[in-house]
Amino acid sequence: MSAGLLLQYAVVALAAAASVLVVLHKRFPNTTRRLRVALALPLLRAGRPGWMRALGRWLAPAPTTTGKDCGGCDSCG
Amino acid sequence: MNAASELARVALVGNPNCGKTALFNLLTGSRQKVANYAGVTVERKEGRLRTPGGRPVAVLDLPGAYSLNAASLDEAVTRDLIRGFYPGEPAPDLLVCVVDATNLRLHLRFVLEVRGLGRPMVVALNMMDAARRRGIEIDVDTLARELGVPVVETVAVRRDGARDLLAQLDAIGDAAQQPRQALPGTGDPGVEPGAALHAETRRLLALAVAMPRRTAAVDDALDRWLLHPVFGLLALALVMFLVFQAVYAWATPLMDAIEAATGWLGATVGATLPAGPLRGLLVDGVIAGLGGVVVFLPQILILFAFILALEESGYLPRAAFLLDRGMAAAGLSGRSFIPLLSSFACAVPGIMSTRSIQDPRDRLATILVAPLMTCSARLPVYALLIGAFIPQRAVGWFNLQGLVLFSLYVAAILSALAVAWVMKRWRRDRGEHPLLLELPSYRLPHLRDVAIGLWERALIFLKRVGGIILALTILLWVLLNVPAGVGIEDTLAGRIGRALAVLFEPLGFDWRISIALIPTMAAREVMVSSLATVYAVAAANDDAASDVLRGMIAQDWSVATGIALLAWFIYAPQCISTLATIRRETHSWKQTAFATGYLFGLAYLVAFVAYRIALAMGLG
Repeated sequence: MSAGLLLQYAVVALAAAASVLVVLHKRFPNTTRRLRVALALPLLRAGRPGWMRALGRWLAPAPTTTGKDCGGCDSCG
Repeated sequence: MNAASELARVALVGNPNCGKTALFNLLTGSRQKVANYAGVTVERKEGRLRTPGGRPVAVLDLPGAYSLNAASLDEAVTRDLIRGFYPGEPAPDLLVCVVDATNLRLHLRFVLEVRGLGRPMVVALNMMDAARRRGIEIDVDTLARELGVPVVETVAVRRDGARDLLAQLDAIGDAAQQPRQALPGTGDPGVEPGAALHAETRRLLALAVAMPRRTAAVDDALDRWLLHPVFGLLALALVMFLVFQAVYAWATPLMDAIEAATGWLGATVGATLPAGPLRGLLVDGVIAGLGGVVVFLPQILILFAFILALEESGYLPRAAFLLDRGMAAAGLSGRSFIPLLSSFACAVPGIMSTRSIQDPRDRLATILVAPLMTCSARLPVYALLIGAFIPQRAVGWFNLQGLVLFSLYVAAILSALAVAWVMKRWRRDRGEHPLLLELPSYRLPHLRDVAIGLWERALIFLKRVGGIILALTILLWVLLNVPAGVGIEDTLAGRIGRALAVLFEPLGFDWRISIALIPTMAAREVMVSSLATVYAVAAANDDAASDVLRGMIAQDWSVATGIALLAWFIYAPQCISTLATIRRETHSWKQTAFATGYLFGLAYLVAFVAYRIALAMGLG
């Protein structure tokens, strides 16, 4: 396989991955949020290396403002 | 606010129909940002301006409210925001309370309520030109003195109509905080706050306003016809009918231009890039798919231009009044009209706005039938199918394609009424609830406000095209090309489509339509881009000449299939956001499952019957 063709496949794969993220984010926001929390929590445990904690912070969703002052888990309807 | 160079935050508040948004458009022009308030689907509009004195001002156009005792979600947002209690929104530095100068009897009550909060405020007497034409004399100085706040005249539809208001904005922070003013009589035993408010309004009117008659002569003359139980309904049907005719009669040249541009772009990209998956994705996926959806933008904008013009003219509340009797007979109340009307744009805000319906029975009935209203996302699908299967010819004075589109909208409305009626019979409920509605004065729609509204609609549509529709088009293209080197029917998408086709075969849907129905659950317009992608990939694989989608499906499908798919889209709840909103608003999986089940059931049944009848008529 030529380098040009390999590059094309890489771009298509990236576009497909980005599309999956867009669909999850736009149509399943609560599921995406729970998924991000589930992925981030193990990385943020005490004793993890710095790079892992940084990755966990990056993965963790930002707190939302729901007006209920409860941390904004978005799961109370 | 101390420094003149510091950004001041100003909020426009007032009753619905006071010309608040027109004033907002005049002040901020195109420097607007439209979003939602955090956590709710209530539109948040913020714009920027610089006063003649050079002060930068952020202007917030708050949802219209009749009272600070909120009866709806919109009113609750306004109440909380002007009191500084809304999360994430700082309290405004100045409240501009906009009132309709021709309807002070109603609007002054809200001014008095807002004044009671004790926040800095200015009263903008809007539509002063209309008030003068009707011979209404307002003593502005007396009103300002009695209210204890500055009062300025504005004419939102005139270029320099906000000059006095801008001068007031320059003076933000110069005046001391407005003292909280209690109404005379409040606190007295036996005097209700509402009665005190009403008495004070009457006192102010007697002191500062001379009104020759309570309503405009032209309004009375028009209402005699437009609110007539027979002629009014005929006029409403005629207006809606003409709107759908215009959608088809006017959009064709622009649609042809977009189609030609899409074709040129596809050919250019195809000729520029080397053969390979990236060229296939761009040409057959992105350009063919998105081009197939964008082509319907002119039709959507023409439809919304009419809806915005009708809204501005003051006709829509009259339509609600006219339809109230029929809606009550079907088990809905007049209060259902606005949520159902909102659902013509999108069912999600329509369902959210049912919060203004206090009766739980009426609210649930409205929520369950709202997805039947023809949302704007269905329009590209209808336009595609009508363009492919209905000939472009005149029937008498009318365009046949426009007639079919009109009948699809009517079919959806009648279906919603029928479903509500069945639900009412099921509950054995014979109760009715009265409708209380403000009928604003008629006015000519202002071109700038319609243009700004259309610009917002176009941006919303294009953002959907560039977001969820683009993402799903890419994913479908990938599924249509994996594994590589096999025929399209043996790809992942082909196999899924063929499995689903067993279920949809009785409706005349082949595997291509069946596969396109899956991503359409995310957004209905995706049906068009999905079909465009499926056919573009198939055409590329077969080395066949590329054609516009309408031509391809007209050649490939029978008329009966086209009719069955149209019938399917009237009913099918192909929108996951709508179903999620029903769950959130009803707090019930049972009601959500019921809505999903009855809508899919109706869609299947009606599409099946339509297909069989069309076959029997020889349209197979």
